[in-house]
Amino acid sequence: MTASIATNQTILVVGGGIAGMTAALEAAECGKQVLLVEKTPTLGGRTAQLYRYFPKMCHPTCGMEINLKRIKGNPNVRVMTMTQVVAVGGGRGDYNVTLKVSPRYVNENCTACRKCGEAVSAEIPDAYNYGLGKVKAAYLPHAMAYPQRYVIDASIVGTPEGEKAKAACPVNAVDLGMQEETLEINVGAVVWATGWRPFDANKIQPYGYDRIANVITSVEFERLADPHGPTGGKLLRPSDGKEAKNIAFIQCAGSRDENYLRHCSRICCMASLKQTQYVREAYGDAGKSTVYYIDIRAIDRFEDFYAMVWKDPTVSFVKSKVARIAENEANGNPVLHGVDTEGYHRYATEHDLVVLAVGMEPEVSGVKLPDDIIIDSSNFIEGSKDGGMFGAGAAASPLDVNRAVQSATAASLKAIQVIHKNASTEAA
Amino acid sequence: MADIKYAAYICSGCGIGDTLNVGALEKVATKEGKMAVVKSHPFLCSTEGVDLIKNDIANEGVTHFCIAACSRRAKAEAFAFPGNAVSRANLREGVLWVVAEGPAHDEVRQEMAEDYIRMGCAEVKKMTCPAGSANAASSRRIMVVGGGMSGMTAALAAADAGYEVVLIEKTAQLGGFANNLWKRVPFNAPHAEAQPTGVAEMTAKVSGHAKIKIHLNSTLAETAGAPGRFIAKIAQESGAVTEETVGAIVQATGFTTYDLAKLPELGGGQANVVDQAGLEALAKAADGGAIKRADGSAVKSVVFVQCAGQRGSGGNGDGSHLDYCSGHCCATSIKQATYFKDANPDVDTVVMYQDLRVPGMGEDFYRSAQKKGVIFTKAKVNKVAGGNSCRVDFKDLILDEDASIDADLVVLATGQVPTSGVNLDEWTTTVTAAESGDEAAKQKKSELQKISVLNLNYRQGPDMPQFKYGFADSHFICFPYETRRTGVYAAGPTRRPMDMFQAQEDATGAALKAIQAVENVARGAAAHPRAGDLSFPKARLEGCTQCKRCTVECPFGAIDEDEKRFPVFNQERCRRCGTCMGACPVRVISFENYSCDTVGMQIKAVNVPDEFEEKPRILILACENDAYPALDMAGIQRLTYSAFVRTIPVRCLGSANTIWITDALNQGYDGVMMMGCKRGDDYQCHFVKGSEMAYYRMSKIDDTLKQLSLEGERVQTYEVAITDSARVAKMIDDYAAQLIEMGPSPMKGFG
Amino acid sequence: MTTATPKYRNNFLKEVEANVEEGHWVKMCMQCGVCAGSCPLGPHWQHSPQKIFMMIRAGKREEVLTSDSMWMCTSCYNCIVRCPRKLPITHIMHGLANYAHRLGMAPKGQPTEAIAKLFWDNLVKTGRVNELKFSLAMYFKDGFVQGIKNAMAMQGIGLGLVKAKRLNPMEILGGHACKDKSGIQKMVAKAREIEDRRKGFSGAGA
Repeated sequence: MTASIATNQTILVVGGGIAGMTAALEAAECGKQVLLVEKTPTLGGRTAQLYRYFPKMCHPTCGMEINLKRIKGNPNVRVMTMTQVVAVGGGRGDYNVTLKVSPRYVNENCTACRKCGEAVSAEIPDAYNYGLGKVKAAYLPHAMAYPQRYVIDASIVGTPEGEKAKAACPVNAVDLGMQEETLEINVGAVVWATGWRPFDANKIQPYGYDRIANVITSVEFERLADPHGPTGGKLLRPSDGKEAKNIAFIQCAGSRDENYLRHCSRICCMASLKQTQYVREAYGDAGKSTVYYIDIRAIDRFEDFYAMVWKDPTVSFVKSKVARIAENEANGNPVLHGVDTEGYHRYATEHDLVVLAVGMEPEVSGVKLPDDIIIDSSNFIEGSKDGGMFGAGAAASPLDVNRAVQSATAASLKAIQVIHKNASTEAA
Repeated sequence: MADIKYAAYICSGCGIGDTLNVGALEKVATKEGKMAVVKSHPFLCSTEGVDLIKNDIANEGVTHFCIAACSRRAKAEAFAFPGNAVSRANLREGVLWVVAEGPAHDEVRQEMAEDYIRMGCAEVKKMTCPAGSANAASSRRIMVVGGGMSGMTAALAAADAGYEVVLIEKTAQLGGFANNLWKRVPFNAPHAEAQPTGVAEMTAKVSGHAKIKIHLNSTLAETAGAPGRFIAKIAQESGAVTEETVGAIVQATGFTTYDLAKLPELGGGQANVVDQAGLEALAKAADGGAIKRADGSAVKSVVFVQCAGQRGSGGNGDGSHLDYCSGHCCATSIKQATYFKDANPDVDTVVMYQDLRVPGMGEDFYRSAQKKGVIFTKAKVNKVAGGNSCRVDFKDLILDEDASIDADLVVLATGQVPTSGVNLDEWTTTVTAAESGDEAAKQKKSELQKISVLNLNYRQGPDMPQFKYGFADSHFICFPYETRRTGVYAAGPTRRPMDMFQAQEDATGAALKAIQAVENVARGAAAHPRAGDLSFPKARLEGCTQCKRCTVECPFGAIDEDEKRFPVFNQERCRRCGTCMGACPVRVISFENYSCDTVGMQIKAVNVPDEFEEKPRILILACENDAYPALDMAGIQRLTYSAFVRTIPVRCLGSANTIWITDALNQGYDGVMMMGCKRGDDYQCHFVKGSEMAYYRMSKIDDTLKQLSLEGERVQTYEVAITDSARVAKMIDDYAAQLIEMGPSPMKGFG
Repeated sequence: MTTATPKYRNNFLKEVEANVEEGHWVKMCMQCGVCAGSCPLGPHWQHSPQKIFMMIRAGKREEVLTSDSMWMCTSCYNCIVRCPRKLPITHIMHGLANYAHRLGMAPKGQPTEAIAKLFWDNLVKTGRVNELKFSLAMYFKDGFVQGIKNAMAMQGIGLGLVKAKRLNPMEILGGHACKDKSGIQKMVAKAREIEDRRKGFSGAGA
């Protein structure tokens, strides 16, 4: 049965990160009907997991607050979380989309009062903090989660813990009997804003992410720096909880590498430059950052930021792709081995902590997409053959937030053009 | 107009009823708040609770009401009553979740909650429901200025979405810079070969589009009005002037290349040293054959010098040329090197770079050129000498040695210089001088008008404000299109250095924003960031002293002046931040649901204990987008802070009128905390200058404090970011401790 | 080949592409340096692989071909595994060494060159490696006295190998051979001839 929440005048936006929210809102504020589906329990995507943006060092949650306010106030956008697209049929202007809605086990009654979370003792890895901490199995994903509604993790459904959550709820919001649902909808155009995931650092064997405690990824480092993160914003290293003051940033961890990701992920240089300033923020002149790079890709006006960091005496640059990382077992320090290629200098340098600037891999890598979708050799979405589906943001190309928003705004208009054509055909 | 009936609805759910005396709160709402209807409900946001309110609206004639429950940021959809004036008293995140637990705090907690009820009731009494001013007859046409790739893309994008477009191009033909290109870099997989530019096809498409009206050889002599009713005077080269009414504008005025003559050390101006544009011309002339120099000889060896006159501010130069990187030049040089290789693989092509910048799939293009035998050398080029045999002196950074090579041709990858019109700072200075009679300034003013792109007849100047390096960029990351001129959107290299792919994407996005702008006007609603807001500023001009502060301080140039120097509000340009309201010394500017009174009455409604009770009162004026959510999140995280504070969210700290401060101090408040966003060059205020203005105004309030014999510390401004929930809680506690140390305000009891 | 190779022109790169096994990969290097850092013998290299590639591109023919760097490669394949551009670095190093050898430009007394030559000569003779003769040839390559010293120093290992039947003393008499010894030799000679013709050698370099 086709659900009546959408018609061929509706734009479906897949993914509720910054690109998806933007694509949805920009179309909605042009007066179009939009259905925004997100596979996790909250909007915001990976952007919500960043501490600061380059180059302004402002906070992503600031823009997210505005976007959430726009969504709350705009009846043209309908948001479905925990929802995935499983199939797309039909064609440009008239797609039949099958959606799968996973159970949240919490209904609209929820007021986020926290009673269920207090009642439950079971814990699960904290996805918001990339698993660096734990949360209760009845949880609000983060302080700005939207919808502001708790989630009961499936692992405690059918257990006494689940019952505890249900019993604690004063407003009958916990519904342990919720089932997965499948929904058929009709839409006119589809914007794929499915975003990216950090490249799996375990695959980069010589860097020992899987073996050396003090080798972490750039996305994890964001969580360490964030006051809402697992360490309350302190740069504490995993092995012993000590403050990491001498930090190495390794560029192209996965990117520009035909063994892993053949593309350049664009954002990592700027992200590492930004993160050197977290070290400065934490320790002033007492911190030390070293950036190991092949080419510093601080494109266009970002060059200013690079120039600023370049002049920072606490930051040094080594033109080298690090060959391997060993561990000094006495103190847990990672030891970087490689060659500075500017003049050929061999090094074996010890740091307190190593941050791998992991590349961006399309979230849809390994996912079966509709046949009509055109992807490039790295699985970024270029569009669809019939011209009714569009890639937006990091699903389309490795982009920073600013560029992702630009891309999403453009995709939004392309989707509107499809809807417009539908409308004018019907009117004729 | 229907009768006004006030009500208050108090939620006792989420533990509010367990911890607070809801009966007492109801009494406050009835007796002090003078609400005609006061009801409490154990689960107000439920369907049943909302129905209770809806029922009162329908059957009891309730029009204005206060919802005392959770933060205004929570349950916004449930508590949406578009036809009513609604205030929210934040009992949950603002009281229950932030005041320390336990009976020891019962009294202060209850007092805090009661004050929020008083404030909510006081606020709603001064509110009216914004009526909006929809204008279905407003113009929905989009004007695109600039007929290059960006402009043509924007025009087509808007036209294909059903909007009429007026396209203005100053030269005799469409196509812009792309007309000079032999080929472009690839946009799609496999990202291996240079591609035809497609400019001719696009020009044909634009020229033949029924919805696009083209003005060639034309510039803008004047742009008057506001979104939905811009009147553009389009001057042709011949002198003829046509008038077009348009709703929104996309500025796609492109760039010029950095002047080669400024780079003599790199051979600029010398024989056989060209820039990338020069090489395109040679490639076009060769038409796929061997590329020849100006003297007609085929090029056998070519050196590309990257970052020529660019990236000057870091360790890379002396800052005498362009500081920024133009982004596209690495890929462009790669493309141009393949021009040579494709025609003749034996041509020696060397690209000298410091950081090769080909992000994304550009890496594939790089590989493809390497495969063709293009040699890439990480090098710092020190000197280029042109001539029959050019010489390039450089340091090979990998081999760590100085070297020099000879080549038939040297290509300098110079940067993009935006075409963005008049610098408004220069404009303001010039106009001020001209108005005081300076003849040279008058002359300069007319020269500036000549280089202006838009010639807006705005009080604040003829073009969009520029950012660093003259780009008409927006300063935001999340909202790259938000310029400071509502309804005018920059696209392409006028906004930021960029390649053709990005420019086309950018132009498509800008077209959407222009469409949105005209739709907003039709609905009478605000544009970003208060999207959909139907309120707009109203001024009681009879009280106005023509001080011009509102016209000068408006971050969006929304307010002009009439002949008598009274402000003229252009609602369609207004973003509803209230900076004008904060600026007005005589308080004649207000919004229907946000005014000096809606806030002032809240301040006055608070019950200020006398000096013997040792309960200081602290007023917090918090930016609704950052500081207020930070306070909310402190609650969500169950952090505690002093129960002595009373928080009022403001649209922007820039909307805070100093009368609120003096009112609070007169009332006997012990301190005022003003929480806004980061100010300065790297400001984070979404209304650009709001927090800056607030800080400036507060720096002037010291004298007032002295007159009242109050310590300066009693009014403090803070920069609070949205992530600062823990910091802000501590900030409040520290300030409360400081005030207790300082002793009660001497103003208590006089208010 | 006596004229100076022009700097930063493609001449030497093209020469390498034409004559060195997998030489066409040299232009694909992006100078990240991971090969340099991954080489277990790295500290003994005067020029790292990535630097050699740059030198080739810079036209430093003499310096590259007379260098002993590529002779240091022990074929551990670390560099190949890690190279982000998938350059077959090990093979290129051997290719360069081989080319330098054939041009007679390899450094004098380069031990890897010597052992490679001994191995080759030993192998082509019978189509099988005669390990005993190969070892002895190795010991005595620097003269008789040094050969005795080497043999004495290694006798423990040698006897061990004999005991374990990994070394047959009877091999000294000629040893095992493949069925068609002369056939193999002809095949090798033909292959060389073809290669020489393709690469323009006179055959004198071997």
